[in-house]
Amino acid sequence: MVEEAKVVEKEVPIGIFHPALIEPWRIRFFVSDEVVKDCEITLNPAHRGLERIMEGKPYEKAAVMTEKICGICSSSHLWNSTKMVEMGLKIHVPDRAQYIRTIVQEIQRTTSHLIFLGHALEIVGHETFAMRAFLIREMFMDLLYYISGNRVQPSAQILGGVRPRCDIPPSLGRVILETVDRGEDAYTKFVERLLADPLVMSRVTGVGILDYNTAMRLHTVGPTARASGVKFDWRKDPVQNPAYQAFDFNVVVLDWCDTKARVATRALEVFEQFKILRQAVKNMPDGPVIDRSWKMGRMDFTDSYFEAPRGELYHSTSLDDFGRIRHYKIRTPSLTNNASMEEACIGDHLTDAVLTIASCDPCLSCTNRFTVVDLGRDKTRVMTGVEIIGKYGRRRRR
Amino acid sequence: MIQESILIGPQVVLILAIAILVGSLLPGFERKVQARIQQRIGPPILTPGFWTLFKFAYKKKMHPNSPMPSLYVSLLPISISLLLTILLFSSPPFIRLFPAQGVVQHTQTAFSATAWFTVLGWSSVVAVVGLLKVEELLYVLIGSLSQSVLSVGMPIPDLARGAKVLGFRREYMEQHSAVRAFKMIGIGSFPIYITLIVPFALAKSVFVEDLIRTQNPGWMASGTFGLSLATLPRSPNILTFPGAIASIAYFVGFMILLNEKPFNILKAKMDVIEGPLLEYGSVYRTFVYMLREAAMFVLASVFVTFFVGIPLDPFQPLLLAIHLLLIFVFIAFEAVMAAFSPILTFRQIYPISFTFSAIAAFALLLAAVM
Repeated sequence: MVEEAKVVEKEVPIGIFHPALIEPWRIRFFVSDEVVKDCEITLNPAHRGLERIMEGKPYEKAAVMTEKICGICSSSHLWNSTKMVEMGLKIHVPDRAQYIRTIVQEIQRTTSHLIFLGHALEIVGHETFAMRAFLIREMFMDLLYYISGNRVQPSAQILGGVRPRCDIPPSLGRVILETVDRGEDAYTKFVERLLADPLVMSRVTGVGILDYNTAMRLHTVGPTARASGVKFDWRKDPVQNPAYQAFDFNVVVLDWCDTKARVATRALEVFEQFKILRQAVKNMPDGPVIDRSWKMGRMDFTDSYFEAPRGELYHSTSLDDFGRIRHYKIRTPSLTNNASMEEACIGDHLTDAVLTIASCDPCLSCTNRFTVVDLGRDKTRVMTGVEIIGKYGRRRRR
Repeated sequence: MIQESILIGPQVVLILAIAILVGSLLPGFERKVQARIQQRIGPPILTPGFWTLFKFAYKKKMHPNSPMPSLYVSLLPISISLLLTILLFSSPPFIRLFPAQGVVQHTQTAFSATAWFTVLGWSSVVAVVGLLKVEELLYVLIGSLSQSVLSVGMPIPDLARGAKVLGFRREYMEQHSAVRAFKMIGIGSFPIYITLIVPFALAKSVFVEDLIRTQNPGWMASGTFGLSLATLPRSPNILTFPGAIASIAYFVGFMILLNEKPFNILKAKMDVIEGPLLEYGSVYRTFVYMLREAAMFVLASVFVTFFVGIPLDPFQPLLLAIHLLLIFVFIAFEAVMAAFSPILTFRQIYPISFTFSAIAAFALLLAAVM
């Protein structure tokens, strides 16, 4: 059997400043005519060194910083961080607080998926659909504001529960339910029109193929993996995420393996989030929203996994006797999906390739922390996947 | 003859002034229509097209990063001049000092003798098509001469150890865009060039004046500064079957030639950004906006003249108003189409262009046998 030779005509690099790339990164496309034969993504320009800054700080300060890792999934980082310490120090969290945490998280997950849809459609070039997605998103941004006082950084979760200002009285619960009803109506029409639009579908169908085996091999996570038939969602894990076990919702899994599947997975997940939100508001128990009976102290390394909007989010740390951070490790879903993006866009047209990468919903402000700088030899390099997993965490259980 | 020659200058100046002024309103109008579709307020109508020209004209002058910067910056004025020349060629001369003497005599006496742009039969389909082709080719040149910092020029160590160094030719995104421009010349521009011939086939002539006379004999017989309903077209091409389907193909061709969504892969934001025009800044950016405005106005005006039979006549207020109104209607259609379209790649552009080229060819066939 003769292998097909990889014929590459030229390299077209884009970035680090580019309107299609919301965050700074470099993509080198190796193309023949318009067809992408290979791709290399470099992530280093936005390195912030947050983990290093956290070291030695009291956990309460570090928790605030974890929320600043990302503007779209800030609640995921904060919840995973507090959950980690609560698991390590065995801190009790009241049920009402768990419900409020879930509400805040699912509203933010909805805004995240809608910003993904808006961004993807912006890259498809369909401004009207993109604007519509952003318009619907505003309803849920307002909800975050009503609950927490902030649109982007709710800061709801603290050790032992949620901040008292984030408590949800019955009147606000009604507002949430009404907004979810209105939002679902508008969103359903939006999704129906989107999936029925032949021009948009012609752009996303059959491009950016990432099959099941490749997704498993590259450790793809989140909706990107679920769009390739991988059925996994950390919210269904009772050990890591007990708060979600009270709710009835489905894990959306599609096996189309293309860009359309990745868009549709997130689009359909929003309906499941509406389902969770309704259950959480209607069944919210009475009681306190915070338990302050805990005492800070030494904590061994504790791992915590959470299903962020983009997939598996891993936090790990240990605390000294005074509750200060000894070493903090974070692995974001975009990091593990990076290799999938490079793989999925091979064979696409150049214009489709950027869309394919965007359809994996990369979030680089979370991810940029994996460049090794060797001052002695005056060179830099990006860590390999094996090194990252070895340093920052183990493979998840299946 | 002297009187006629004296009037030629003001005619040309008036046409160009109308094109530039009204053209500067079109981007704002287009954006407003799209914004309303998207439930936004949108920018003020004057801002995107009119005030932008002045804004960029007064910015600090920037020198483009180009191997031949002088040629690079001069290509824009050349493009604008070409488009405005097309507008002049598509508008037959307006000297009608002896309207009572009849149409034929009028055409033979007043037209070719005085109007410089009808010399050698330039006011014909040959000139319009030829100049449009040259204007398209300039995009290839512009793209080839631009080297922005946003791709290969970015100071980032791509070729560091550990990177995928494959030793291939590294290309600026504008150069890739120039390749796309070349492809669009080959594939995308067929619909508009075939449809441009359809009205001439219906008129059985290659000259614009004959084209208008067959649609609108009243205008040819009217006097200067007239305000008569008799100047409205009696048998516009768009109401004939070949003319109607050719109009649809022209509209698609117009979108392709304008590099407007869904056919703007030449300057698709998601990969090649502004494409060939990326390196134009400050006052040169003003020229970029003027180029687009001129293209919008000229191609819409050509449609109104060729398919509706209402020429751009600054001395006929009624006809001028209708002509400009139809231009705005044409742009409104374009804005709606762009608002509801994604950017198509060549996978979709090839079959679409082929389909509308076939439609245009069918219209041409019908027009030839009619």
